[in-house]
Amino acid sequence: MQSKAADTRKEMSQGRLALIFSAPAVLIIAATILAPFLMAVFLSLHNWNLKRPGRERFIGLENYTDWLTDSDFWQPLQTTFTFAVGAVLVIVIVALLVALLLNEKFPGRGVLRALLLVPWAIPSVVNALLWKWLLNPQYGLFNAIWFELGIITEYQNVLGSMPSVMIWLVIAYSWIHIPLATLLLLSGLQTIPGDIYESAIVDGAGIFQRFAYITLPMLRSMLSIVIIFEMIFALKVFDIIFVLTAGGPADATNVLGWTIYTETFRKLDFGAGSSIAMLLGVITLGMAILFYVILDKGVEQ
Amino acid sequence: MHQHSRLRLAIIYFCATLLLIGTVGPFLWLVSSSFQYERQLLNRPPQWLPNPVVFDSYREIFEGAVLGEESGVPYQSRIFLGSFGNSFAIAGSVALIAVVVGSLAAYPLARLNFRGRSVLLFGILASRLIPALSLAIPIVLVAKQIGMSDRLITLVFINLSFVLPYVIWLLQSYFKTIPMELEDAGRIDGCSRLQVVIKIILPLARPGLTSAAILAFLVAWGEFLFALLLSETPASYTSTVVVSLFATDVDVSFVSIITAGVVSVIPPIVFALIFQRYIISGLLSGSLKG
Repeated sequence: MQSKAADTRKEMSQGRLALIFSAPAVLIIAATILAPFLMAVFLSLHNWNLKRPGRERFIGLENYTDWLTDSDFWQPLQTTFTFAVGAVLVIVIVALLVALLLNEKFPGRGVLRALLLVPWAIPSVVNALLWKWLLNPQYGLFNAIWFELGIITEYQNVLGSMPSVMIWLVIAYSWIHIPLATLLLLSGLQTIPGDIYESAIVDGAGIFQRFAYITLPMLRSMLSIVIIFEMIFALKVFDIIFVLTAGGPADATNVLGWTIYTETFRKLDFGAGSSIAMLLGVITLGMAILFYVILDKGVEQ
Repeated sequence: MHQHSRLRLAIIYFCATLLLIGTVGPFLWLVSSSFQYERQLLNRPPQWLPNPVVFDSYREIFEGAVLGEESGVPYQSRIFLGSFGNSFAIAGSVALIAVVVGSLAAYPLARLNFRGRSVLLFGILASRLIPALSLAIPIVLVAKQIGMSDRLITLVFINLSFVLPYVIWLLQSYFKTIPMELEDAGRIDGCSRLQVVIKIILPLARPGLTSAAILAFLVAWGEFLFALLLSETPASYTSTVVVSLFATDVDVSFVSIITAGVVSVIPPIVFALIFQRYIISGLLSGSLKG
């Protein structure tokens, strides 16, 4: 009995210790994430427009029903999905190819792996500036290269029309996101034991068979993680839109992140902005869960 | 067999060259452009290397910062260096505080047995699932009302809450790799828990702490949304905000815009290349710069 009492005392003191040690971190997170989140829910249930002060009132789910019956929600949602699917596809496919290359042993591999950190370290806003310059309709490098190669006869404004603006937005966004996906997939590849491949070669399996029957199945859980994370990131894209396209031309790249920004900080409608931000949060979480279930099921099979 | 491996190497180096161009090419072009005259940038075909090497746009940034309006350089160039300093102050503070506060929170998660341990860990990680845009709305509203808008300290706290979950996760998994016996020996010698953390755990966890600090610095350096929404005067702009002001202004010369972009990525790229081992190990233990 006595030893049990001593155990409880010890456990309590450990609990208190844990509380004291983690208090600063928990307080910071609570003050800057939990409290604002609750307030965002509150705002989303109110009529709250800074242009019309004094008229704040509770309106229940009206903001939400307004959005759900408005093409100003469905159109950006569709654009968001187009962008996110494109970005995830480009990132995952390129990252997988690069990871397969870096998984081969050759002199210079370490340098290449380190240089992957160059695009990774570039902030999204600077990346947008970089691509704005590369794609400049009068002086951009890409225009110059295509022109010199004879692919185009006059310089193009690729950011000025659909579908080229979406394609280049996806490429520009993917450029800084590919390195991390590559490093994660590479670490996944390196856990696959080499002797499996050797015995497959003995059995006469070709390079594509080895990829399809060994690499892909064994990489599946890491691939799932990368897909889910990249999906979450891409659905909330904002920075690059702000600098590169500002939602244009003619709303062609108006994703939900941009709608939330203009609704809240230009039209100053904080109620409407909060509710659409909540919808984006729910959609993101829903997609993450959906992908998790689909991909996880695949792993079991 | 010999022929086969030669072919293999040839294919590998062909792909590696493509990868090299794709990885550093766009950025090198930005650097090359920043050292040219504005009129040379408009050359067709483009001039690959600057000839002569021109430092005018770099000098503009320094002159603008020192002389102000007298220098006659664009508005953005005048405020750029100040914003660069702000970014350093914010990212540096975030890295330092995140490592201190994060180590304290990570220790009990790695070592202590207490009720609610998994709830705490899960709660901290789950906080990252909430999109920043939905948090931005109430944060801006409240910050303006209580006079916390337009202050660097507010951005430090906001960035902290973004990086802390990753830092805590990274550090607690690192702390777990430190042998328990070392800690027990310290306890027998009469160290308190805090002394154990400071004298035994932290010195041994230096690689983990370095990874965490660098990642925190880089995330804070690149943060844009809150820096944009919470700054009202140039005195509190960060470099990402000024870069966005450059990039969305059609009247500024291309060289000035490009140079601002290059200068603002010098710290992250230099850090990334110097500390690449720490960064890669940090990234692979589950910390992500989104």
